[in-house]
Amino acid sequence: MFLTGYGKAARKRRDRLATVVIASLAGFVLLVLASLMTYIFVQGVSAVSWEFLSEFPRHAMTEGGIFPAIVGTVYLAVGSMCISIPLGFGAAIYLAEYAKPGALVSAVRLGVANLAGVPSVVFGLFGLSLFVTTFGFGRSLLSGCLTLGLLTLPTVTAAAEEAIRQTPASFREAALALGASRWQAVRQVILPAALPGMLTGGILALGRAAGETAPISLTSATAYSPALPDSPFNEAMALTTHIYNLATNGSDIAATRPQQFGTSLVLVTLVLGLSLFALVIRARLRRSRRW
Amino acid sequence: MVTTEEGGGKGAPSPEFRDAWDARDSFETPGEEEPKAVIKADRISFFYGAFQALRNISLEIMADEVTAFIGPSGCGKSTFLKLLNRMHDFVPGARLAGEVLVSGQSVYGPDADPVDIRRRVGMVFQRPNPFPKSIYDNICYGPRLVGVRKKAELDVVVERALRAAALWDDVKDVLTKSALELSGGQQQRVCIARALALEPDILLMDEPTSALDPIATSKVEDWIRSSGMTIVIVTHNMQQAARISDRTAFFYMGELVEFGPTLELFTSPRERRTENYITGRFG
Ligand SMILES: Nc1ncnc2c1ncn2[C@@H]1O[C@H](COP(=O)(O)OP(=O)(O)O)[C@@H](O)[C@H]1O
Ligand SMILES: [Mg+2]
Repeated sequence: MFLTGYGKAARKRRDRLATVVIASLAGFVLLVLASLMTYIFVQGVSAVSWEFLSEFPRHAMTEGGIFPAIVGTVYLAVGSMCISIPLGFGAAIYLAEYAKPGALVSAVRLGVANLAGVPSVVFGLFGLSLFVTTFGFGRSLLSGCLTLGLLTLPTVTAAAEEAIRQTPASFREAALALGASRWQAVRQVILPAALPGMLTGGILALGRAAGETAPISLTSATAYSPALPDSPFNEAMALTTHIYNLATNGSDIAATRPQQFGTSLVLVTLVLGLSLFALVIRARLRRSRRW
Repeated sequence: MVTTEEGGGKGAPSPEFRDAWDARDSFETPGEEEPKAVIKADRISFFYGAFQALRNISLEIMADEVTAFIGPSGCGKSTFLKLLNRMHDFVPGARLAGEVLVSGQSVYGPDADPVDIRRRVGMVFQRPNPFPKSIYDNICYGPRLVGVRKKAELDVVVERALRAAALWDDVKDVLTKSALELSGGQQQRVCIARALALEPDILLMDEPTSALDPIATSKVEDWIRSSGMTIVIVTHNMQQAARISDRTAFFYMGELVEFGPTLELFTSPRERRTENYITGRFG
Protein backbone atom coordinates (compact mmCIF):
# COMPACT_ATOMS: atom_id res chain seq x y z
CA MET A 1 0.00 0.00 0.00
CA PHE A 2 1.20 3.50 -0.71
CA LEU A 3 0.86 4.50 2.94
CA THR A 4 3.36 1.87 4.03
CA GLY A 5 6.45 3.54 5.35
CA TYR A 6 4.73 6.87 5.81
CA GLY A 7 6.05 8.48 9.01
CA LYS A 8 8.24 5.49 9.62
CA ALA A 9 11.40 7.49 10.27
CA ALA A 10 9.69 9.74 12.84
CA ARG A 11 8.13 6.76 14.54
CA LYS A 12 11.46 5.02 14.75
CA ARG A 13 13.12 8.11 16.21
CA ARG A 14 10.43 8.45 18.87
CA ASP A 15 10.67 4.75 19.63
CA ARG A 16 14.41 5.01 20.13
CA LEU A 17 14.02 8.08 22.33
CA ALA A 18 11.47 6.31 24.54
CA THR A 19 13.75 3.31 24.88
CA VAL A 20 16.65 5.53 25.93
CA VAL A 21 14.55 7.44 28.49
CA ILE A 22 13.08 4.28 30.02
CA ALA A 23 16.45 2.56 30.12
CA SER A 24 18.14 5.51 31.83
CA LEU A 25 15.36 5.75 34.43
CA ALA A 26 15.72 2.07 35.18
CA GLY A 27 19.48 2.48 35.31
CA PHE A 28 19.13 5.36 37.76
CA VAL A 29 16.95 3.29 40.09
CA LEU A 30 19.43 0.43 39.93
CA LEU A 31 22.28 2.82 40.64
CA VAL A 32 20.58 4.26 43.73
CA LEU A 33 19.83 0.79 45.00
CA ALA A 34 23.34 -0.43 44.35
CA SER A 35 24.98 2.58 46.06
CA LEU A 36 22.71 2.19 49.07
CA MET A 37 23.57 -1.48 49.39
CA THR A 38 27.27 -0.81 48.86
CA TYR A 39 27.22 1.94 51.47
CA ILE A 40 25.55 -0.28 54.07
CA PHE A 41 27.94 -3.07 53.22
CA VAL A 42 31.09 -0.94 53.44
CA GLN A 43 29.98 0.73 56.64
CA GLY A 44 28.74 -2.41 58.32
CA VAL A 45 30.94 -5.25 57.21
CA SER A 46 33.76 -4.40 59.63
CA ALA A 47 31.37 -4.87 62.58
CA VAL A 48 29.99 -8.22 61.45
CA SER A 49 31.75 -11.23 62.85
CA TRP A 50 30.74 -14.55 64.34
CA GLU A 51 30.75 -12.94 67.81
CA PHE A 52 28.54 -10.13 66.51
CA LEU A 53 25.96 -12.65 65.34
CA SER A 54 26.12 -15.01 68.29
CA GLU A 55 26.68 -12.90 71.43
CA PHE A 56 24.63 -10.67 73.67
CA PRO A 57 25.38 -6.93 73.72
CA ARG A 58 27.82 -5.69 76.41
CA HIS A 59 28.81 -2.39 77.99
CA ALA A 60 25.55 -0.57 77.39
CA MET A 61 25.40 -2.07 73.90
CA THR A 62 28.64 -0.46 72.76
CA GLU A 63 30.24 -3.88 72.44
CA GLY A 64 29.25 -7.49 71.96
CA GLY A 65 26.74 -8.83 69.51
CA ILE A 66 23.12 -8.70 68.40
CA PHE A 67 22.08 -12.32 68.89
CA PRO A 68 18.93 -11.57 70.93
CA ALA A 69 17.80 -9.02 68.36
CA ILE A 70 18.14 -11.58 65.55
CA VAL A 71 16.18 -14.12 67.56
CA GLY A 72 13.52 -11.54 68.44
CA THR A 73 13.06 -10.49 64.83
CA VAL A 74 12.77 -14.11 63.69
CA TYR A 75 10.15 -14.78 66.40
CA LEU A 76 8.19 -11.69 65.41
CA ALA A 77 8.31 -12.42 61.69
CA VAL A 78 7.41 -16.09 61.99
CA GLY A 79 4.81 -15.43 64.71
CA SER A 80 3.08 -12.76 62.68
CA MET A 81 2.90 -15.12 59.70
CA CYS A 82 1.23 -17.72 61.91
CA ILE A 83 -1.54 -15.16 62.27
CA SER A 84 -1.74 -13.54 58.85
CA ILE A 85 -1.33 -16.67 56.72
CA PRO A 86 -4.30 -18.67 58.07
CA LEU A 87 -6.53 -15.59 58.24
CA GLY A 88 -5.34 -14.18 54.92
CA PHE A 89 -5.56 -17.46 53.02
CA GLY A 90 -9.01 -18.10 54.46
CA ALA A 91 -10.21 -14.65 53.48
CA ALA A 92 -8.68 -15.02 50.03
CA ILE A 93 -10.36 -18.37 49.43
CA TYR A 94 -13.66 -16.89 50.50
CA LEU A 95 -13.29 -13.79 48.34
CA ALA A 96 -12.08 -15.65 45.26
CA GLU A 97 -14.22 -18.77 45.42
CA TYR A 98 -17.31 -18.32 47.53
CA ALA A 99 -18.31 -14.69 47.83
CA LYS A 100 -21.15 -13.68 45.56
CA PRO A 101 -20.30 -10.42 43.86
CA GLY A 102 -22.09 -7.59 45.59
CA ALA A 103 -21.74 -4.53 47.74
CA LEU A 104 -20.44 -6.38 50.80
CA VAL A 105 -17.67 -8.15 48.92
CA SER A 106 -16.66 -4.98 47.12
CA ALA A 107 -16.48 -3.26 50.49
CA VAL A 108 -14.29 -6.02 51.94
CA ARG A 109 -11.97 -5.89 48.96
CA LEU A 110 -11.77 -2.11 49.12
CA GLY A 111 -11.05 -2.34 52.83
CA VAL A 112 -8.28 -4.85 52.25
CA ALA A 113 -6.72 -2.64 49.59
CA ASN A 114 -6.87 0.44 51.81
CA LEU A 115 -5.58 -1.31 54.92
CA ALA A 116 -2.44 -2.09 52.96
CA GLY A 117 -1.84 1.64 52.68
CA VAL A 118 -2.30 2.54 56.36
CA PRO A 119 1.04 3.76 57.82
CA SER A 120 2.58 1.16 60.06
CA VAL A 121 2.84 3.49 63.04
CA VAL A 122 -0.95 3.61 63.07
CA PHE A 123 -1.06 -0.19 63.28
CA GLY A 124 1.47 0.13 66.12
CA LEU A 125 -0.74 2.51 68.02
CA PHE A 126 -3.74 0.28 67.43
CA GLY A 127 -1.81 -2.74 68.71
CA LEU A 128 -0.63 -0.78 71.71
CA SER A 129 -4.12 0.19 72.78
CA LEU A 130 -5.82 -3.11 71.88
CA PHE A 131 -3.36 -5.93 72.62
CA VAL A 132 -0.98 -4.31 75.09
CA THR A 133 -3.51 -2.39 77.15
CA THR A 134 -7.06 -3.59 76.61
CA PHE A 135 -6.32 -7.31 76.30
CA GLY A 136 -3.60 -6.98 78.90
CA PHE A 137 -0.94 -8.87 76.95
CA GLY A 138 1.54 -6.13 77.92
CA ARG A 139 4.53 -5.24 75.81
CA SER A 140 5.32 -8.70 74.60
CA LEU A 141 6.15 -10.91 71.64
CA LEU A 142 2.48 -11.86 71.52
CA SER A 143 1.32 -8.24 71.18
CA GLY A 144 4.02 -7.65 68.54
CA CYS A 145 3.08 -10.73 66.54
CA LEU A 146 -0.62 -9.88 66.64
CA THR A 147 0.08 -6.31 65.52
CA LEU A 148 2.43 -7.37 62.73
CA GLY A 149 -0.04 -10.11 61.78
CA LEU A 150 -2.75 -7.50 61.23
CA LEU A 151 -0.30 -5.25 59.43
CA THR A 152 0.63 -7.92 56.91
CA LEU A 153 -2.87 -9.38 56.61
CA PRO A 154 -3.94 -7.17 53.67
CA THR A 155 -0.81 -7.98 51.66
CA VAL A 156 -1.15 -11.69 52.32
CA THR A 157 -4.87 -11.67 51.48
CA ALA A 158 -4.52 -9.67 48.29
CA ALA A 159 -1.60 -11.76 47.00
CA ALA A 160 -3.38 -15.02 47.81
CA GLU A 161 -6.64 -13.90 46.20
CA GLU A 162 -4.76 -12.89 43.08
CA ALA A 163 -2.97 -16.25 42.96
CA ILE A 164 -6.26 -18.13 43.30
CA ARG A 165 -7.88 -16.03 40.59
CA GLN A 166 -5.02 -16.80 38.25
CA THR A 167 -5.61 -20.54 38.33
CA PRO A 168 -7.48 -21.42 35.16
CA ALA A 169 -11.27 -21.60 35.53
CA SER A 170 -11.06 -24.80 33.48
CA PHE A 171 -9.54 -26.68 36.45
CA ARG A 172 -12.53 -25.84 38.58
CA GLU A 173 -14.96 -26.79 35.82
CA ALA A 174 -13.18 -30.09 35.25
CA ALA A 175 -13.28 -30.99 38.94
CA LEU A 176 -16.94 -30.05 39.32
CA ALA A 177 -17.87 -31.97 36.19
CA LEU A 178 -16.25 -35.06 37.71
CA GLY A 179 -18.53 -34.84 40.71
CA ALA A 180 -16.33 -32.86 43.11
CA SER A 181 -18.09 -30.69 45.65
CA ARG A 182 -17.20 -27.03 45.75
CA TRP A 183 -14.77 -27.48 48.62
CA GLN A 184 -13.21 -30.59 47.09
CA ALA A 185 -12.52 -28.65 43.90
CA VAL A 186 -10.94 -25.84 45.89
CA ARG A 187 -8.86 -28.05 48.14
CA GLN A 188 -7.72 -30.67 45.63
CA VAL A 189 -7.31 -28.67 42.48
CA ILE A 190 -7.40 -24.90 42.95
CA LEU A 191 -5.26 -24.55 46.06
CA PRO A 192 -2.42 -26.84 44.94
CA ALA A 193 -2.23 -24.88 41.71
CA ALA A 194 -2.39 -21.50 43.48
CA LEU A 195 -0.09 -22.37 46.36
CA PRO A 196 3.20 -21.11 44.91
CA GLY A 197 1.71 -17.68 44.29
CA MET A 198 0.04 -17.64 47.69
CA LEU A 199 3.27 -18.57 49.47
CA THR A 200 5.22 -15.95 47.56
CA GLY A 201 2.91 -13.30 48.98
CA GLY A 202 3.36 -14.78 52.44
CA ILE A 203 7.14 -14.72 52.25
CA LEU A 204 7.22 -11.15 51.01
CA ALA A 205 4.99 -10.19 53.94
CA LEU A 206 7.40 -12.00 56.25
CA GLY A 207 10.16 -9.73 54.97
CA ARG A 208 7.99 -6.71 55.56
CA ALA A 209 7.21 -7.80 59.13
CA ALA A 210 10.91 -8.27 59.83
CA GLY A 211 11.63 -4.77 58.55
CA GLU A 212 9.03 -2.84 60.57
CA THR A 213 10.16 -0.51 63.35
CA ALA A 214 7.33 1.58 64.77
CA PRO A 215 4.80 -1.19 65.47
CA ILE A 216 7.47 -3.35 67.08
CA SER A 217 8.79 -0.49 69.14
CA LEU A 218 5.28 0.33 70.38
CA THR A 219 4.13 -3.20 71.20
CA SER A 220 6.94 -5.58 71.96
CA ALA A 221 10.49 -4.30 71.80
CA THR A 222 12.87 -3.77 74.63
CA ALA A 223 16.12 -1.88 74.20
CA TYR A 224 18.20 -4.41 76.03
CA SER A 225 17.52 -7.85 77.35
CA PRO A 226 20.01 -10.04 79.16
CA ALA A 227 18.23 -13.25 78.14
CA LEU A 228 16.25 -14.64 75.25
CA PRO A 229 12.47 -14.50 75.64
CA ASP A 230 11.14 -17.75 77.07
CA SER A 231 7.42 -17.05 76.74
CA PRO A 232 5.18 -15.16 74.31
CA PHE A 233 4.51 -12.71 77.12
CA ASN A 234 8.14 -11.60 77.31
CA GLU A 235 9.47 -8.47 75.71
CA ALA A 236 12.14 -9.08 73.11
CA MET A 237 14.80 -7.18 71.23
CA ALA A 238 14.52 -6.76 67.48
CA LEU A 239 16.94 -5.72 64.76
CA THR A 240 15.09 -2.64 63.61
CA THR A 241 14.50 -1.20 67.05
CA HIS A 242 18.08 -2.01 67.99
CA ILE A 243 19.33 0.12 65.10
CA TYR A 244 16.92 2.87 66.06
CA ASN A 245 18.02 2.85 69.69
CA LEU A 246 21.72 2.84 68.92
CA ALA A 247 21.30 5.66 66.45
CA THR A 248 19.13 7.90 68.60
CA ASN A 249 19.79 7.44 72.30
CA GLY A 250 22.80 5.26 72.92
CA SER A 251 25.46 6.45 75.36
CA ASP A 252 27.85 7.17 72.49
CA ILE A 253 26.02 7.36 69.20
CA ALA A 254 29.01 8.04 66.97
CA ALA A 255 31.09 5.25 68.49
CA THR A 256 28.43 2.61 67.78
CA ARG A 257 28.06 3.62 64.11
CA PRO A 258 29.72 0.37 62.91
CA GLN A 259 27.29 -1.68 65.04
CA GLN A 260 24.37 0.28 63.60
CA PHE A 261 25.46 -0.48 60.07
CA GLY A 262 26.43 -4.01 60.96
CA THR A 263 22.91 -4.60 62.29
CA SER A 264 21.45 -2.97 59.18
CA LEU A 265 23.53 -5.27 57.00
CA VAL A 266 22.19 -8.31 58.87
CA LEU A 267 18.61 -7.05 58.57
CA VAL A 268 18.85 -6.23 54.87
CA THR A 269 20.48 -9.57 54.16
CA LEU A 270 17.70 -11.34 56.01
CA VAL A 271 14.94 -9.49 54.14
CA LEU A 272 16.58 -9.75 50.73
CA GLY A 273 17.33 -13.40 51.40
CA LEU A 274 13.64 -14.01 52.06
CA SER A 275 12.58 -12.18 48.89
CA LEU A 276 15.09 -14.15 46.88
CA PHE A 277 13.83 -17.34 48.42
CA ALA A 278 10.28 -16.36 47.39
CA LEU A 279 11.44 -15.68 43.83
CA VAL A 280 13.19 -19.02 43.63
CA ILE A 281 10.17 -20.99 44.85
CA ARG A 282 7.94 -19.19 42.41
CA ALA A 283 10.29 -19.79 39.51
CA ARG A 284 10.64 -23.47 40.35
CA LEU A 285 6.93 -24.08 40.79
CA ARG A 286 6.14 -22.09 37.66
CA ARG A 287 8.42 -24.32 35.69
CA SER A 288 6.85 -27.49 37.02
CA ARG A 289 3.30 -26.35 36.20
CA ARG A 290 2.80 -24.91 32.79
CA TRP A 291 -0.72 -24.22 31.73
CA MET B 1 -29.70 -12.79 7.41
CA VAL B 2 -30.14 -12.94 3.67
CA THR B 3 -32.73 -15.14 2.04
CA THR B 4 -33.38 -15.28 -1.63
CA GLU B 5 -34.75 -18.74 -2.21
CA GLU B 6 -37.60 -20.73 -0.92
CA GLY B 7 -36.57 -22.88 2.02
CA GLY B 8 -38.34 -25.96 3.17
CA GLY B 9 -37.09 -29.30 2.07
CA LYS B 10 -35.91 -28.56 -1.45
CA GLY B 11 -32.25 -27.72 -0.75
CA ALA B 12 -29.77 -30.06 -2.39
CA PRO B 13 -27.10 -31.33 -0.05
CA SER B 14 -23.88 -29.39 -0.40
CA PRO B 15 -20.82 -31.21 -1.78
CA GLU B 16 -19.14 -30.74 1.62
CA PHE B 17 -21.95 -32.55 3.31
CA ARG B 18 -21.82 -35.33 0.74
CA ASP B 19 -18.10 -35.79 1.33
CA ALA B 20 -18.53 -35.80 5.07
CA TRP B 21 -21.44 -38.17 4.91
CA ASP B 22 -19.66 -40.53 2.52
CA ALA B 23 -16.66 -40.62 4.85
CA ARG B 24 -18.85 -42.42 7.38
CA ASP B 25 -18.52 -46.12 7.04
CA SER B 26 -20.85 -48.78 8.20
CA PHE B 27 -22.70 -47.39 11.07
CA GLU B 28 -26.36 -47.56 11.19
CA THR B 29 -28.64 -44.63 10.74
CA PRO B 30 -31.18 -44.06 13.49
CA GLY B 31 -34.63 -45.45 13.37
CA GLU B 32 -33.84 -49.09 12.65
CA GLU B 33 -35.00 -50.16 16.04
CA GLU B 34 -37.13 -47.99 18.28
CA PRO B 35 -34.71 -45.53 19.93
CA LYS B 36 -35.12 -44.78 23.61
CA ALA B 37 -34.89 -41.27 24.99
CA VAL B 38 -32.42 -40.93 27.90
CA ILE B 39 -32.59 -37.17 28.22
CA LYS B 40 -35.83 -35.31 28.01
CA ALA B 41 -35.74 -31.54 28.14
CA ASP B 42 -39.15 -29.98 28.41
CA ARG B 43 -39.88 -26.33 27.66
CA ILE B 44 -36.53 -25.02 28.85
CA SER B 45 -35.88 -21.32 29.14
CA PHE B 46 -32.62 -20.10 30.53
CA PHE B 47 -31.52 -16.70 31.81
CA TYR B 48 -28.20 -15.08 32.66
CA GLY B 49 -29.52 -12.33 34.90
CA ALA B 50 -31.97 -10.42 32.69
CA PHE B 51 -30.60 -11.88 29.47
CA GLN B 52 -32.58 -14.80 28.08
CA ALA B 53 -30.15 -17.24 26.48
CA LEU B 54 -32.61 -20.06 25.70
CA ARG B 55 -36.25 -19.84 24.67
CA ASN B 56 -38.68 -22.62 25.36
CA ILE B 57 -36.65 -25.55 24.13
CA SER B 58 -37.94 -29.12 24.17
CA LEU B 59 -35.65 -31.89 23.01
CA GLU B 60 -35.05 -35.60 23.48
CA ILE B 61 -31.65 -37.26 23.35
CA MET B 62 -31.70 -40.91 22.31
CA ALA B 63 -29.71 -43.63 24.02
CA ASP B 64 -26.52 -44.87 22.35
CA GLU B 65 -26.66 -42.19 19.69
CA VAL B 66 -24.44 -39.23 18.89
CA THR B 67 -26.42 -36.01 18.92
CA ALA B 68 -24.79 -32.88 17.51
CA PHE B 69 -25.71 -29.29 18.39
CA ILE B 70 -24.88 -26.83 15.65
CA GLY B 71 -25.53 -23.14 15.21
CA PRO B 72 -23.72 -19.82 15.05
CA SER B 73 -21.56 -18.72 17.93
CA GLY B 74 -23.55 -17.30 20.84
CA CYS B 75 -26.79 -19.09 19.94
CA GLY B 76 -26.91 -21.01 23.23
CA LYS B 77 -25.42 -24.43 22.40
CA SER B 78 -23.02 -24.47 25.35
CA THR B 79 -25.66 -23.04 27.65
CA PHE B 80 -28.02 -25.86 26.76
CA LEU B 81 -25.33 -28.52 27.04
CA LYS B 82 -24.25 -27.34 30.48
CA LEU B 83 -27.73 -27.35 31.90
CA LEU B 84 -27.90 -31.08 31.24
CA ASN B 85 -25.41 -31.76 34.04
CA ARG B 86 -26.02 -28.66 36.16
CA MET B 87 -22.78 -26.91 35.38
CA HIS B 88 -24.57 -23.59 35.77
CA ASP B 89 -25.06 -24.11 39.49
CA PHE B 90 -22.12 -21.86 40.30
CA VAL B 91 -22.87 -19.10 37.82
CA PRO B 92 -24.32 -16.15 39.75
CA GLY B 93 -27.61 -14.95 38.32
CA ALA B 94 -28.17 -18.04 36.15
CA ARG B 95 -31.80 -19.20 36.21
CA LEU B 96 -33.70 -22.00 34.54
CA ALA B 97 -37.34 -22.68 33.84
CA GLY B 98 -38.65 -26.00 32.55
CA GLU B 99 -37.81 -29.58 33.32
CA VAL B 100 -34.94 -31.91 32.48
CA LEU B 101 -35.13 -35.66 32.98
CA VAL B 102 -32.11 -37.96 32.73
CA SER B 103 -33.07 -41.65 32.67
CA GLY B 104 -36.46 -40.64 34.01
CA GLN B 105 -35.05 -38.77 37.01
CA SER B 106 -35.50 -35.04 37.41
CA VAL B 107 -32.24 -33.10 37.18
CA TYR B 108 -33.53 -29.96 38.87
CA GLY B 109 -36.20 -31.44 41.11
CA PRO B 110 -36.14 -31.01 44.88
CA ASP B 111 -34.42 -34.34 45.59
CA ALA B 112 -31.95 -34.17 42.71
CA ASP B 113 -28.33 -34.50 43.78
CA PRO B 114 -26.15 -32.34 41.50
CA VAL B 115 -22.98 -34.28 42.31
CA ASP B 116 -24.63 -37.56 41.45
CA ILE B 117 -25.95 -36.11 38.20
CA ARG B 118 -22.50 -34.90 37.18
CA ARG B 119 -21.15 -38.39 37.76
CA ARG B 120 -23.78 -39.92 35.52
CA VAL B 121 -23.52 -37.21 32.88
CA GLY B 122 -19.83 -36.62 32.16
CA MET B 123 -18.41 -33.64 30.35
CA VAL B 124 -15.46 -32.86 28.10
CA PHE B 125 -14.61 -29.24 27.47
CA GLN B 126 -13.55 -27.11 24.56
CA ARG B 127 -9.92 -26.77 25.56
CA PRO B 128 -8.19 -29.84 26.95
CA ASN B 129 -8.07 -29.19 30.69
CA PRO B 130 -6.12 -31.95 32.40
CA PHE B 131 -5.07 -31.19 35.96
CA PRO B 132 -1.38 -30.45 36.50
CA LYS B 133 -0.93 -33.99 37.76
CA SER B 134 0.21 -37.29 36.31
CA ILE B 135 -1.88 -39.05 33.68
CA TYR B 136 -2.68 -41.70 36.26
CA ASP B 137 -3.85 -39.21 38.87
CA ASN B 138 -5.94 -37.38 36.29
CA ILE B 139 -7.86 -40.53 35.44
CA CYS B 140 -8.21 -41.45 39.11
CA TYR B 141 -9.62 -38.11 40.15
CA GLY B 142 -13.28 -39.06 39.78
CA PRO B 143 -13.01 -42.62 41.14
CA ARG B 144 -11.09 -41.36 44.18
CA LEU B 145 -13.85 -38.86 44.85
CA VAL B 146 -16.34 -41.69 45.09
CA GLY B 147 -14.06 -43.53 47.49
CA VAL B 148 -12.05 -45.95 45.37
CA ARG B 149 -8.74 -46.06 47.24
CA LYS B 150 -7.05 -49.39 46.59
CA LYS B 151 -4.18 -49.22 44.13
CA ALA B 152 -5.21 -52.49 42.46
CA GLU B 153 -8.74 -51.24 41.83
CA LEU B 154 -7.52 -47.88 40.56
CA ASP B 155 -5.09 -49.62 38.20
CA VAL B 156 -8.00 -51.50 36.66
CA VAL B 157 -10.07 -48.33 36.34
CA VAL B 158 -7.20 -46.43 34.70
CA GLU B 159 -6.51 -49.13 32.15
CA ARG B 160 -10.16 -49.57 31.29
CA ALA B 161 -10.72 -45.80 30.90
CA LEU B 162 -7.60 -45.30 28.79
CA ARG B 163 -8.49 -48.26 26.58
CA ALA B 164 -12.01 -46.89 26.17
CA ALA B 165 -10.54 -43.55 25.11
CA ALA B 166 -8.17 -45.33 22.66
CA LEU B 167 -5.17 -43.91 24.46
CA TRP B 168 -3.85 -46.91 26.35
CA ASP B 169 -1.24 -47.94 23.80
CA ASP B 170 0.11 -44.39 23.59
CA VAL B 171 0.59 -43.81 27.28
CA LYS B 172 0.71 -47.13 29.10
CA ASP B 173 4.44 -46.74 29.76
CA VAL B 174 4.32 -43.13 30.91
CA LEU B 175 1.38 -43.09 33.29
CA THR B 176 3.34 -41.15 35.91
CA LYS B 177 4.25 -38.41 33.44
CA SER B 178 2.47 -35.08 33.85
CA ALA B 179 -0.58 -34.94 31.62
CA LEU B 180 0.50 -31.43 30.62
CA GLU B 181 3.48 -32.89 28.76
CA LEU B 182 1.25 -34.69 26.27
CA SER B 183 0.21 -33.28 22.91
CA GLY B 184 -3.08 -31.37 22.68
CA GLY B 185 -4.89 -34.31 21.13
CA GLN B 186 -3.61 -36.72 23.74
CA GLN B 187 -4.54 -34.28 26.51
CA GLN B 188 -8.07 -34.15 25.17
CA ARG B 189 -8.24 -37.95 25.15
CA VAL B 190 -6.93 -37.97 28.73
CA CYS B 191 -9.86 -35.71 29.55
CA ILE B 192 -12.21 -38.12 27.80
CA ALA B 193 -10.68 -41.04 29.71
CA ARG B 194 -10.95 -39.05 32.94
CA ALA B 195 -14.68 -38.59 32.31
CA LEU B 196 -15.10 -42.24 31.28
CA ALA B 197 -13.43 -43.48 34.46
CA LEU B 198 -16.68 -42.73 36.29
CA GLU B 199 -18.55 -44.85 33.73
CA PRO B 200 -21.11 -42.17 32.99
CA ASP B 201 -24.32 -43.01 31.13
CA ILE B 202 -23.96 -39.95 28.92
CA LEU B 203 -21.02 -37.87 27.74
CA LEU B 204 -21.39 -34.18 26.92
CA MET B 205 -18.71 -32.66 24.71
CA ASP B 206 -18.45 -28.92 24.09
CA GLU B 207 -16.51 -28.34 20.87
CA PRO B 208 -13.98 -30.95 21.95
CA THR B 209 -11.83 -30.64 18.84
CA SER B 210 -11.81 -26.89 18.28
CA ALA B 211 -8.39 -26.53 19.91
CA LEU B 212 -6.92 -29.54 18.09
CA ASP B 213 -5.10 -30.04 14.80
CA PRO B 214 -6.74 -32.14 12.04
CA ILE B 215 -4.99 -35.39 12.94
CA ALA B 216 -5.86 -35.12 16.62
CA THR B 217 -9.39 -34.11 15.60
CA SER B 218 -9.86 -37.22 13.50
CA LYS B 219 -8.64 -39.40 16.37
CA VAL B 220 -11.23 -37.88 18.69
CA GLU B 221 -13.90 -38.21 15.99
CA ASP B 222 -12.96 -41.84 15.43
CA TRP B 223 -13.33 -42.43 19.12
CA ILE B 224 -16.76 -40.79 19.20
CA ARG B 225 -17.99 -42.87 16.25
CA SER B 226 -16.79 -46.14 17.69
CA SER B 227 -17.67 -45.55 21.34
CA GLY B 228 -21.27 -46.70 21.18
CA MET B 229 -22.06 -44.28 24.01
CA THR B 230 -24.76 -41.71 24.32
CA ILE B 231 -22.90 -38.57 23.32
CA VAL B 232 -24.07 -35.00 22.94
CA ILE B 233 -21.53 -32.92 21.09
CA VAL B 234 -21.52 -29.19 20.40
CA THR B 235 -19.71 -28.27 17.24
CA HIS B 236 -19.52 -25.19 15.09
CA ASN B 237 -18.20 -27.36 12.31
CA MET B 238 -21.05 -28.69 10.20
CA GLN B 239 -18.87 -31.26 8.44
CA GLN B 240 -18.02 -32.64 11.83
CA ALA B 241 -21.70 -32.97 12.70
CA ALA B 242 -22.26 -34.71 9.38
CA ARG B 243 -19.31 -37.04 9.92
CA ILE B 244 -20.15 -38.25 13.38
CA SER B 245 -23.71 -37.61 14.47
CA ASP B 246 -26.92 -39.57 14.20
CA ARG B 247 -29.12 -36.61 14.96
CA THR B 248 -28.50 -32.91 14.69
CA ALA B 249 -30.10 -29.99 16.45
CA PHE B 250 -29.81 -26.54 14.94
CA PHE B 251 -29.90 -23.66 17.43
CA TYR B 252 -30.34 -20.07 16.44
CA MET B 253 -30.49 -17.07 18.78
CA GLY B 254 -31.58 -19.08 21.78
CA GLU B 255 -34.14 -21.13 19.91
CA LEU B 256 -34.10 -24.72 18.76
CA VAL B 257 -34.97 -24.22 15.12
CA GLU B 258 -34.84 -27.78 13.91
CA PHE B 259 -33.96 -31.19 15.25
CA GLY B 260 -33.87 -34.43 13.34
CA PRO B 261 -31.82 -37.25 11.88
CA THR B 262 -28.57 -35.79 10.57
CA LEU B 263 -29.10 -36.95 7.01
CA GLU B 264 -32.53 -35.37 6.90
CA LEU B 265 -31.50 -32.12 8.48
CA PHE B 266 -28.65 -31.65 6.05
CA THR B 267 -30.36 -32.89 2.89
CA SER B 268 -33.91 -31.66 3.33
CA PRO B 269 -34.13 -29.08 6.09
CA ARG B 270 -37.68 -28.06 6.93
CA GLU B 271 -36.82 -24.54 8.05
CA ARG B 272 -35.40 -21.80 5.90
CA ARG B 273 -33.08 -20.68 8.71
CA THR B 274 -31.59 -24.16 8.86
CA GLU B 275 -31.08 -24.23 5.15
CA ASN B 276 -29.44 -20.82 5.17
CA TYR B 277 -27.09 -21.92 7.89
CA ILE B 278 -26.06 -25.24 6.39
CA THR B 279 -25.52 -23.72 3.00
CA GLY B 280 -23.30 -21.11 4.61
CA ARG B 281 -25.48 -18.09 3.97
CA PHE B 282 -24.99 -16.85 7.53
CA GLY B 283 -23.20 -17.78 10.71
N1 LIG C 1 -21.91 -16.66 32.16
C1 LIG C 1 -22.62 -15.91 31.30
N2 LIG C 1 -23.15 -14.74 31.72
C2 LIG C 1 -23.89 -13.98 30.86
N3 LIG C 1 -24.13 -14.29 29.59
C3 LIG C 1 -23.62 -15.45 29.12
C4 LIG C 1 -22.85 -16.30 29.94
N4 LIG C 1 -22.47 -17.37 29.20
C5 LIG C 1 -23.00 -17.19 27.97
N5 LIG C 1 -23.70 -16.03 27.92
C6 LIG C 1 -24.44 -15.53 26.75
O1 LIG C 1 -25.41 -16.46 26.41
C7 LIG C 1 -25.49 -16.61 24.98
C8 LIG C 1 -25.28 -18.05 24.62
O2 LIG C 1 -23.96 -18.41 24.94
P1 LIG C 1 -23.38 -19.85 24.66
O3 LIG C 1 -24.33 -20.85 25.17
O4 LIG C 1 -22.00 -19.88 25.20
O5 LIG C 1 -23.32 -19.87 23.07
P2 LIG C 1 -22.63 -20.92 22.08
O6 LIG C 1 -22.04 -22.02 22.89
O7 LIG C 1 -23.73 -21.35 21.16
O8 LIG C 1 -21.59 -20.15 21.32
C9 LIG C 1 -24.45 -15.67 24.41
O9 LIG C 1 -25.12 -14.49 23.99
C10 LIG C 1 -23.54 -15.39 25.54
O10 LIG C 1 -23.02 -14.10 25.43
MG1 LIG D 1 -19.99 -22.54 23.15
